[in-house]
Amino acid sequence: MLMLRPSRLSDIAAVERIAAASPVGMTSLPVNRETLYRKIQASLDSLAADVRFHGEESYFFVLEDGESGEVVGCSGIVASAGFNEPFYNYRNETIVHASAELGIHNRIHALSLCHDLTGNTLLVAFYIEPRAARGAGADLLSRGRFLFIANHPQRFAERIVAEMMGLTRADGSSPFWDSVGRRFFGIDYQEAELHCGVRGRTFIAELLPQHPLYVPLLSDEAQAAIGQVNPAHEVAFEVLMREGFETDHYIDIFDGGPTLHARTDSIRTIARSRLLKTRRGRQRAGVPHLIANTRLSEFRCLITDLAPPVRDEIELAPTLIERLLLEDGDLVRIAPL
Amino acid sequence: MFVRPIRQDDLGSLLELARSAGVGLTTLPASEELLGRRIAASCAALGAEPRPENTSLLFALEDSRNGRVVGICGLEGAVGITEPWYNYRVGLAVHSSRELGIYRKLQTLFLTNDLTGSAELCSLFLHADYRHSNNGGLLSKSRFLFLAEFPERFERRVIAEMRGVADAAGRSPFWESLGRHFFKMEFSEADYLTGIGQKSFIAELMPKHPLYAEFLSEAARAVIGQVHENTRPALAMLSGEGFRYQGYIDIFDGGPTLECELADIRAVRDSRILTAVPGAGVGEGRLWLVSNRRLHGYRACLARTDPTGTELPLSAEVLARLALTPGDSVRAVPLSAKERPE
Repeated sequence: MLMLRPSRLSDIAAVERIAAASPVGMTSLPVNRETLYRKIQASLDSLAADVRFHGEESYFFVLEDGESGEVVGCSGIVASAGFNEPFYNYRNETIVHASAELGIHNRIHALSLCHDLTGNTLLVAFYIEPRAARGAGADLLSRGRFLFIANHPQRFAERIVAEMMGLTRADGSSPFWDSVGRRFFGIDYQEAELHCGVRGRTFIAELLPQHPLYVPLLSDEAQAAIGQVNPAHEVAFEVLMREGFETDHYIDIFDGGPTLHARTDSIRTIARSRLLKTRRGRQRAGVPHLIANTRLSEFRCLITDLAPPVRDEIELAPTLIERLLLEDGDLVRIAPL
Repeated sequence: MFVRPIRQDDLGSLLELARSAGVGLTTLPASEELLGRRIAASCAALGAEPRPENTSLLFALEDSRNGRVVGICGLEGAVGITEPWYNYRVGLAVHSSRELGIYRKLQTLFLTNDLTGSAELCSLFLHADYRHSNNGGLLSKSRFLFLAEFPERFERRVIAEMRGVADAAGRSPFWESLGRHFFKMEFSEADYLTGIGQKSFIAELMPKHPLYAEFLSEAARAVIGQVHENTRPALAMLSGEGFRYQGYIDIFDGGPTLECELADIRAVRDSRILTAVPGAGVGEGRLWLVSNRRLHGYRACLARTDPTGTELPLSAEVLARLALTPGDSVRAVPLSAKERPE
């Protein structure tokens, strides 16, 4: 049985292994022990802090195989995207060039560098090992975060965004980067991503042109890559699509992958979640649900079969009570899978 | 051969001349209505208040042997007054990061109206059969003596748009890489619309934000500020007169716009006022461009001569061509810089 929990410093070796397996475009998971260590420490600090309003906190979770205790995936949340620096995206814009006299009505697609999403909560570092991705592992790893967010709304923004990796070629190069970023930097996509993983993205974004880019002037291959998700990120994308995230407005400045966004309280898992009082007893079989305790450092989330409760109370099997570190009478948050 | 202001009764011969030009000459579309309008405007301009915004002139090159109009050229006192005048300004953006070891110079194109209110040399066309014996130099440079004579009718900065690079089929690599994305039309069509006075309509549909030349095709980048092969002689001629490319290009074909201050144009600056006297026959002295200094009856032609003091000896033929009687005042300048007096 898989379980989502906050990462501990002792996870470092496993997290490093997962980072190494993740695609190069995932800047939030650089293969750099020092950086990963800092991410985990930042998460521990954030969980321990008394937070009244979201700021520079970040949270880092791991997916643990209950039987072996092995870590098979990780995911994270940055409370405020671009807390210390602007959070850059390209916004899809339409410029209408029209002249009745000439019988011309052209809608020109342009990309405009923006900071619109700065301060929104950002989902990051999602990677699940292929062996765990079967079944509901990806849902638990991704959506478990939403139960955590629903438990602590003051720690997060009213909108949540997630960057999806864009298309890359077989050799790891990016058609979008080659037609945009490379022209301004003269370096490879992979090289740029490496710089960013370590130094942050603003660094590069600040060297990008401040003027809108006319999409018809990009290469056909780059145009085709706009808003397209890398197959390696398809799982993460599908989960968020089912949650009601919107895809059409923003793209990543590096690889052109879509930047998804949604209102926090209309994300399906959050909107349909319920807070219930637990009672040790006989758990009635029903349909699969995500279930999480309401703790911070001891946050736990897993998937179990539950009969939809009739009142604000639910009976849970003792093993589940234990795994979720609950006492009789504690609150749990559930959402249908 | 001599140059004179166009007249109402030139319409027929002008149409014929325009037809001989074929497609690709923006400035002279074979449209009776349009040419009629331009002739009327030119005739009216000579009688109007001498202000740049009133000046829109056409001149004809007439073969004195048979009275045929074989060439045309134009002068505008100030462009962009009734509708916007567009150019791209070729600029530079440096993207640099010491930390990343990156230093990139990128060419930028800004859509501007910077040249609004410049005087313009325009509408130059010489019939193919007459492209010899300095006819081209006479036709084009006769305008400088007019500028020198009537500067109050022109703004101080004078510009000339040079035709950009196009292939044998008339396709412009610059247009293919830029304009075409914004208008689904051929360059020749855009060119034609420009000729019939619709350029600003099209320009208003062009991208308003600055462009990075990096996004254009290699072929398009290569022709920024470059002239059409057939335009090289004109470029050389204007360069000799002091005109320079200062980074403004045509928004359709990327051809350069040349600029020069009116008073700095060689043929304006070096022109002298002299007294016409009967003298030298054909074949003696240097080649001079001579005008009769009149407005309505303006005439200019070439003459082989050399001034003696303040007098310019001219043959009877030249005197007749310029409608002069001995003792009349003329404005003259050596046809080209290399014939400049020591």
